[in-house]
Amino acid sequence: MSGHISVENVRKIYQTGKDSVEAVSGASFVANDGEFVAILGPSGCGKSTLLMMCGGLESITSGKITIGGTPVTGPRASVGVMFQDSTLLPWKTVRENILFPARIQHRTLQDVGPRADELIELVGLGGFADKKPHQLSGGMRQRVAICRALVTDPDILLMDEPFSALDAMTRDEMNDALLDIWDKYRKTGLFVTHSIREAVYLADRVLVMTRRPATVVADVRIPFGRDRDQSISSTPEFTELCAYLRNMIDQERIPGRSVRRVKAA
Amino acid sequence: MSEISLPRSTSPRNPRISDASLSVLLPVGLAVFVLVAWQIGAKVSGISPVILPAPSDILASYNGIVGDLAHQSVATGSEAFFAFFLSCFFGLITALVLSSSVILFETFYPNLVVFQIIPKIALAPLFTFWLGIGATSRLSYAVFISFFPVALATMTGLSRADAGALRLCRAAGATRWQTFFHVQIPYSLPYFFSGAKVAATLSIIGIVIGEFISANEGLGYFILRAQSYGQTSKIFAALSVLCGLGLLLYVLPVQGERMLRKWWRGS
Ligand SMILES: Nc1ncnc2c1ncn2[C@@H]1O[C@H](COP(=O)(O)OP(=O)(O)O)[C@@H](O)[C@H]1O
Ligand SMILES: [Mg+2]
Repeated sequence: MSGHISVENVRKIYQTGKDSVEAVSGASFVANDGEFVAILGPSGCGKSTLLMMCGGLESITSGKITIGGTPVTGPRASVGVMFQDSTLLPWKTVRENILFPARIQHRTLQDVGPRADELIELVGLGGFADKKPHQLSGGMRQRVAICRALVTDPDILLMDEPFSALDAMTRDEMNDALLDIWDKYRKTGLFVTHSIREAVYLADRVLVMTRRPATVVADVRIPFGRDRDQSISSTPEFTELCAYLRNMIDQERIPGRSVRRVKAA
Repeated sequence: MSEISLPRSTSPRNPRISDASLSVLLPVGLAVFVLVAWQIGAKVSGISPVILPAPSDILASYNGIVGDLAHQSVATGSEAFFAFFLSCFFGLITALVLSSSVILFETFYPNLVVFQIIPKIALAPLFTFWLGIGATSRLSYAVFISFFPVALATMTGLSRADAGALRLCRAAGATRWQTFFHVQIPYSLPYFFSGAKVAATLSIIGIVIGEFISANEGLGYFILRAQSYGQTSKIFAALSVLCGLGLLLYVLPVQGERMLRKWWRGS
């Protein structure tokens, strides 16, 4: 229950000087404990904003977000976050970077050390624990970022397009690594992406968002079990789901506005 | 939000020509060319050595003053080093204190920027007036002019920490002090060292100006004395020693920067 996220009629208006931008307009959804939910939508539609509000990193203009039944008012230790860039601290080793949030939260090394080592092995960074970020590839840095987000054993992991800066092959690898992690540590996951394929491959449910001001227009259940692998992506079911979602996103395009098509990777 | 960049050598690189030899040959070549042109120009034009001594005259003038010059260099060098050290220390402390609160930062930063613009050379006589003629007044003046670049650069660095790293701190629930120590201070170090480079130059300038005004030893004093006797080549001899001192002092922040790069990048 502690990983349950409920978003009720949430709005977000950014006020910059005289301008105000309505980024999210009346979004509602629920993510159950242990569920992996992908949020799909065109860029600039307000996905990051919604995710940041769930993480307590952005204020909510109106509406309500609760996690495990209590309203979100700020960042909390039970929520891990990951972003498009890994933002590793260049002077810290892989292991020190992973332990950083634990250190901030005054957790002892006896407490989190073994878990850090376990995560390092799980994502295939064994042997790199004492390397500095400049010695790692983009994919490896993002693996470090995953470990860092999980080191304090949060109930929820929020991911904002974590793999969209990576090349297609590395991205597939990272998707598989994430599936492995989900097998081992069942968390509630919110995963923002604009790749339809990635969303279907990873998630239990896919939420489709409209253009700004964004709201959730569809909630699609993905029928594959958690023990999936790349072989599902060649099934007709998978292709159909992708086509269905693509169609839905295309219909959301507002006539008369020039709109970049959402790309399926 | 990408990787932060440490100040690096900004010389354009040509991959076809050997890097190291080129970056030594070109500047040394220019220096030698200027010296030779100066030597020939001074001799051929027939300008009096009192107005413009040739490099060979300057070299010759070292004869017999080496001991004196060494003595004056130690006086100036030790004061300049001390001034440099103090300005880095006070600059850093000032930056840390003034950046520890938004109110302090907003109050002081713009004022410091404006104050930095004042030609502080004009204030040198005031220091003699306030603190008398002596090492204290020279040191205070040198620290006074060289500490600003350190403080300002470090404050700038502290306010420019990587946005992603700051967000990371926020997400982890870091207190302001934790963010300051774990992220802002490390990210400000490259800025601190570039401020320290400016301070290295200014400390020597400060001490020499102090010696111009009030001193009975040091290279500034030596230059004034040589001037009153019309010994132009001795002035140049002292200048070349000052250059050497300046370089010695400049090496310190450069070395610091290298250590920082090694710490961050392992290279
Ligand atoms: N801090 C901010 N201040 C003002 N406007 C913002 C801010 N952050 C995002 N926006 C605006 O809100 C809209 C949604 O942004 P975002 O949530 O980043 O979209 P997405 O993640 O879907 O690409 C965009 O139009 C963006 O310009
Ligand atoms: Mg975004």
